[in-house]
Amino acid sequence: MTMTLEDVRTRAQTRHELCGQVKKLLVDRLSLDVDPGMISDDQPLFGRGLELDSIDTLELAVAVQEELGVTITDDDTECLLSLNRLVDHIEKNRG
Amino acid sequence: MGTEAAATFTAPPREATRESVRLSADEIAGLLPHRYPFLMLDRVVHVTPGVSAEAIKNVSVADPVLAGHFPGRMIFPGVLLIECVAQLAAVMYGTASLREGSATPDSVAGRVGYLAEVRQAKFLRPVYPGDQLIVQAHNGPRVGSLISVTGQISVDRELVMTTRLAVTQRPAPDHQPDQ
Repeated sequence: MTMTLEDVRTRAQTRHELCGQVKKLLVDRLSLDVDPGMISDDQPLFGRGLELDSIDTLELAVAVQEELGVTITDDDTECLLSLNRLVDHIEKNRG
Repeated sequence: MGTEAAATFTAPPREATRESVRLSADEIAGLLPHRYPFLMLDRVVHVTPGVSAEAIKNVSVADPVLAGHFPGRMIFPGVLLIECVAQLAAVMYGTASLREGSATPDSVAGRVGYLAEVRQAKFLRPVYPGDQLIVQAHNGPRVGSLISVTGQISVDRELVMTTRLAVTQRPAPDHQPDQ
């Protein structure tokens, strides 16, 4: 299925906004000392990226559930490897 | 199927509702590894396994903790209010495991894990000997062995404490170990 240029632009815009929303959610809910704008889309969330720990995993799941209505379960933990993967998961599971 | 705790879950509940279960102090002790002086809850008034629960704790002048906190100004410590909610959380997931068959009456207490996080706790009013704590807890999302729990404690219909915690439940013996 081909998309028009308009579709592509709209999709990119929506994605960009969602990325911004998720970055802000990360900073607010996990009390990160970083400007949401400074988080790159492909940033790893754990380890050498944002240095989240396993307890932050739960808080992230709670935050995404509460603010975006999307559930993260044990089977989905791959989506926590980077910001992009997390946004992919949210896009896929949003109403 | 010979233990007290098993009898509770297979016999019809004494409360009218199908879902809700009442637990005595002995039955609570069957679900938790905690013992004196660190078993907090006197009675579970109702529990919907894995969802929510409500319990009672009577704060007594006889509690040894009060002798030191503080002499001449007895106040039940806030950290122990957190412990009450954490233990009620263990009751919630313990009853859920029994119901779904992932634990037996002999193994359920061994599945109780740890307090992983106190995300927030607010202590709104002091708690004194003679107060009857109504402890309430609700389950939140679960990721792996980590479970989010929100809780509150009231005395005489006034909130004395609100909290959000993360607790863990240890995996059942035949599961993969946690990474």
